[in-house]
Amino acid sequence: MTRAIVAVAAALALVALAGWLFGHSPIDLLTILLGGSLDETILKAIPLLLTGLTIAVAFRAGVWNIGGEGQFIAGALAAFVAARFGLAAALAASVIAGAAWASIASLLRWWRNAPEVLTTILLNFIAINVLGWCVNGPLQESSARYPQTDAVSIALPQIGDVHAGVVLAAAVAVVAWWLLYHTREGLRLRATGFNPAAAKFAGVNVEAQIFRAMAVSGGCAGLAGGIELLGVTHRLFERFAAGYGYSGIAVALLAQLHPLGTVVSAFFFGALATGAGELQRSANISATVATLIQAVVIFTMILFGRRERA
Amino acid sequence: MRLANISKSFGATRAVDDVSLELHAGEIVGLVGENGAGKTTLMRIVAGELEPDRGTVLAPAPIGFVHQHFVLVNAFTIAENLALVGATASEIELPDESRLVADLSIGEKAKLELMKAISRKPSLLILDEPTSVLTPAEAAELFAVMRRLAANGTIVVFISHKIPEVLEVATRVVVMRGGKIVAEGGTAEEIVREASGVRRPRRRSDSAGMAGAPRITAIVGVAGNGQAELAAKLRREAKGVVAAIPEDRTRDGLIAEMTIAENLALRTSVPAEQLIANYNIKASGPNQKAGSLSGGNQQKVLLARELSINPNVIVASEPTRGLDAEATRFVHDRLRDAAARGAEVYLITSDLDEAFTLGDTIQVIYRGRLSQPLSPEEAAEQAPRLMAGL
Repeated sequence: MTRAIVAVAAALALVALAGWLFGHSPIDLLTILLGGSLDETILKAIPLLLTGLTIAVAFRAGVWNIGGEGQFIAGALAAFVAARFGLAAALAASVIAGAAWASIASLLRWWRNAPEVLTTILLNFIAINVLGWCVNGPLQESSARYPQTDAVSIALPQIGDVHAGVVLAAAVAVVAWWLLYHTREGLRLRATGFNPAAAKFAGVNVEAQIFRAMAVSGGCAGLAGGIELLGVTHRLFERFAAGYGYSGIAVALLAQLHPLGTVVSAFFFGALATGAGELQRSANISATVATLIQAVVIFTMILFGRRERA
Repeated sequence: MRLANISKSFGATRAVDDVSLELHAGEIVGLVGENGAGKTTLMRIVAGELEPDRGTVLAPAPIGFVHQHFVLVNAFTIAENLALVGATASEIELPDESRLVADLSIGEKAKLELMKAISRKPSLLILDEPTSVLTPAEAAELFAVMRRLAANGTIVVFISHKIPEVLEVATRVVVMRGGKIVAEGGTAEEIVREASGVRRPRRRSDSAGMAGAPRITAIVGVAGNGQAELAAKLRREAKGVVAAIPEDRTRDGLIAEMTIAENLALRTSVPAEQLIANYNIKASGPNQKAGSLSGGNQQKVLLARELSINPNVIVASEPTRGLDAEATRFVHDRLRDAAARGAEVYLITSDLDEAFTLGDTIQVIYRGRLSQPLSPEEAAEQAPRLMAGL
């Protein structure tokens, strides 16, 4: 907890300092950065929450799923294809596709001991390029002008100015927390992450835990992609994933891999992304400042993590 | 070396409590005490691995520290592990230095750790329970090395539970209890009494073959003769619920990052509070992290978990290694209870005394082969010879 606050403070201080060096008022800068609209913040926080859970679940089981980006795209593509069968089918398809895409990495790990850090990243590139091919080819809009699809015929219902994905994402966070900390399977999954040899000795089927964790993890990312399509963009285009899969790493690390902490941390990064856009419009400061803060947060969390060594 | 008023707490537990101690060149100091008495913590403070909460440490450099738990790179060979710490040729040797550490027996790993520590020509050498994994011959070899080092002016600190051994090799004995130094020197009887704080003489446990222990098979052998493979085979082929006490506690035992309660809940549904009380586990509560417990208490947690699942088969590898007398007897009683309830118990041990104490049937393992089942009487005569491969 202290660590998370220090990380956030360090990141914001650095941004304020950098802004000040370039002649901006640090106070104004931070006000704009953190004062974006609440609705937009929530909209941005929804995919971040789900990709944050993607990372939290996998890392807790000791598998390094860096493939949130690819699983996000796989989920969105599946939701687009399944949209004709209705909303529930589209969402279910997104979960299944994300889980399946992630499971390629766990299969490769099981079959050939291929490190999932590499395979999940490589699968990201494959997913990005498959999406690129789809929106330029078979799924391109009927007018064939831009590399994008037609708008999907269905959408998530609105709750006020945000879509119903917010309820789904929050529910997933609570369920993930409950599963990880209040069920025997969750205990086994965490044991696998901490010490697979000891977990095996305690009768845990470590292989099965890793498969399951990876599938659940990928399912979260896939759902994020489906919700983004059905709630926000309504169509697919080349840069659809927009880095949500990778930002999930910062979200999860700031939350110290705790599912409920992820809710807070996703909200923070959502606010940051919103504010960064505002900063670009009003102060002409590049929106990459949000990415910069993410990076500083990750560095701080890692630097001040695990100080005690066994 | 001088320690003045050292204190160190972990949470609510005061591990070391206002300890002052002065050691001189050439001394072999036996540091004895029960599990959780603060011996290892005190020595880790001396070695600079832990910061004391209070007090001053004046220690010579360099310090060689052989931990109870090994710090070796499993994926490296013996030679690479030695090169990693800049170790050169040593008076102790291991055959075939191109073997991977992962393939070594526990006894061989212990030897490698000692080689690492000695090669730095330490002014102070700390050995934490070094003999618990050694055969008598290996232990004698170790004692010879200790004496030679002391003769050259090294201070040797030897942490152990085995009081006869300590009396044999140490020039000075320091007894700790509850974080304090409670005595120096004395006879074996006196030391045991001081260490446990109990003012009564200890009786030896009843020997094997008694009613109530119908089905304990003790498999005895020098470390590194295929015990690990045998244990794996027994676990694999056993029918019903199998409880396992692993030989390598750091790797296969408890999950250090998780609490006592979580480690227990991995296999058992018996409440943690109850097991902590029943097994006399010294902890601040069920939510203490397993990694912050002393070695003996970790072993108790493991036993509590594995024995509370009403196993049909128990495969216990060195279940009392590193435990004090009280805890050892406790573990033996629990294994007998389990056998009396009808569990099939396999005790794999390198301690012949333990095999006699518990086994109805004794088998000797040598180079991966098991001898014929022997009665305790037959074993008393044949086991030492069989263990040496004669």
